Amino acid sequence: MIVGVDVGSRTAKAAYLEDGEYSFRVVETAKWRTLLGGRAAEAATGYFRKHVPAELRVTEITTAIHGTRRLLGEVVDVIVDIGGQDTKVIDVRENGFRMNDKCSAGTGAFLELIAKQFGVALEELGGLHLLATRAPEINSTCSVFAQSEVVSRLVEGYSVEEVVRGVHLAFARRIAQMVPEHAQKVALIGGVARNSGVVEALREVLGAEVLVPEEPQVVNAVGAVEYYLRRKSG
Amino acid sequence: MKGRRIGITALVPPEVVYACGCRALDLNNLVPESMVRPEDKLCAWSAVWRELLLRREVEVDALVVVAGGDCYTSLVDAQRVELAGIPAHHFIYPFSGDIRLMREQVEALAEFLGELEHEVMDEVAELKAMALRVHEMRSRGELGSRDGFLIEVSASDLMGSPARYREALENLGEVDVSYEHRIALLGVPPIYSDFHEVLAELGMHVVFDEMPYEFIRHTGRSMAEVARSYARYTFALHLRRRLEFLRKQLRRHRAEAAVHFHQYACHHSLEEPLLRGLCRELRIPYLSIEADLPGRTPEQVRLRLEAFAERLGEES
Ligand code: SF4
Repeated sequence: MIVGVDVGSRTAKAAYLEDGEYSFRVVETAKWRTLLGGRAAEAATGYFRKHVPAELRVTEITTAIHGTRRLLGEVVDVIVDIGGQDTKVIDVRENGFRMNDKCSAGTGAFLELIAKQFGVALEELGGLHLLATRAPEINSTCSVFAQSEVVSRLVEGYSVEEVVRGVHLAFARRIAQMVPEHAQKVALIGGVARNSGVVEALREVLGAEVLVPEEPQVVNAVGAVEYYLRRKSG
Repeated sequence: MKGRRIGITALVPPEVVYACGCRALDLNNLVPESMVRPEDKLCAWSAVWRELLLRREVEVDALVVVAGGDCYTSLVDAQRVELAGIPAHHFIYPFSGDIRLMREQVEALAEFLGELEHEVMDEVAELKAMALRVHEMRSRGELGSRDGFLIEVSASDLMGSPARYREALENLGEVDVSYEHRIALLGVPPIYSDFHEVLAELGMHVVFDEMPYEFIRHTGRSMAEVARSYARYTFALHLRRRLEFLRKQLRRHRAEAAVHFHQYACHHSLEEPLLRGLCRELRIPYLSIEADLPGRTPEQVRLRLEAFAERLGEES
């Protein structure tokens, strides 16, 4: 069995490759050791990769490229990896890379804040978004100001669903600022990619094809295994 | 001005400064280690040295700044220093590369500084020839990236005296550097104090540092020779000439990849598509890094460099 782990700021993910089949596990970051069952990983990635016993360590940028290729079965122009505390935009064609880690707007933390404000679970945001047919303008790019804008829109008479849609569009615009213009095929990975509202908003804002692998959260763990295999075979 | 300490910014011919009996201090060399954080700034390089001078944390008797053909941010910052009472001279590179105009500029510089002694020019020319040999050593992997870089970048002011620079050159020992990739560093020198070490840790050996190489390749034993040589300073010329020069150097140094370093709010950032295009033409991977404040290489930049090294590892 080959094990790739991705220990990030919020969650730790493992991809296990056995007889050509992948299986996955996701735990809170603090419990990353339980993913390994006492052995070392073949490859480790993620913010805390240097703490993980592993045969090789690799950056999340490289694993995102390998993992996306494996899980989507095709090459994209740009990968957007929305994590709990940062968002990375990888320009696969130009080998470019941008990262937002200075402010929470445009990261998973922002949506968590909004979900809390509405008193709903993070996973419910996508469903609410799809129920709305119009959206109010949310202009603020700062998560604190956006929260007060949310209240204003509700007072003005927009429904919760509509405001959620507006929030997702604002979120997508924030991310689009980091995406290079030439992008026609974009892969969205990371836990936030399971929010179908964000996916739809990004499609709308970017005007590009946005692909989401089936297990967006474990792409980097898979990418770690794929990178390991490539190094070993090369 | 004999014996005076002259603050300079790249690239002011140090041979003329020393030949006039003055000592040169390249203000930019103080920036990467500086803790000064200017409130009003565009590019951090010139803003930091401007503040160091205005706060009198660094004392100079006069300032010579490149006022044309290269950097306009430092031109304004230098004038602020001048208006605060430090005498300044403006050195202008002719965009055309015209040798006669260049000669006028080096003559005007000498006039501002004092009387010329040609023997000193001979000495500086000899030191630069030594530095060029050091450059080749580094390219052959007989010297670490950082040591080679420091020698080249210090050629702009000869570390405050030709004797001190000679000592630094003579004290370099040959080493056997093990590395995985040969890297060219394009653009302005990194404002991060440990950048070359970070690259070395990742197996990337810098075989060509674009701007520091300019510091060692121009010299002359007379004013005519100095003018002829500095008229070819590529950063001041049409980009076509710089690209042509880089194309040759990237090939000659067998660079496997290029890292382009530029600064927030610097016009050189606009050169990105051209340098990227040149690398594409030469089929070598290109990475562009924009920096702002000085200090150690930030985590984010390290991450990008690490991913770049991984990509090079896969391609080789
Ligand atoms: S980096 Fe650019 S703006 Fe800054 S001092 Fe150099 S040339 Fe001027």
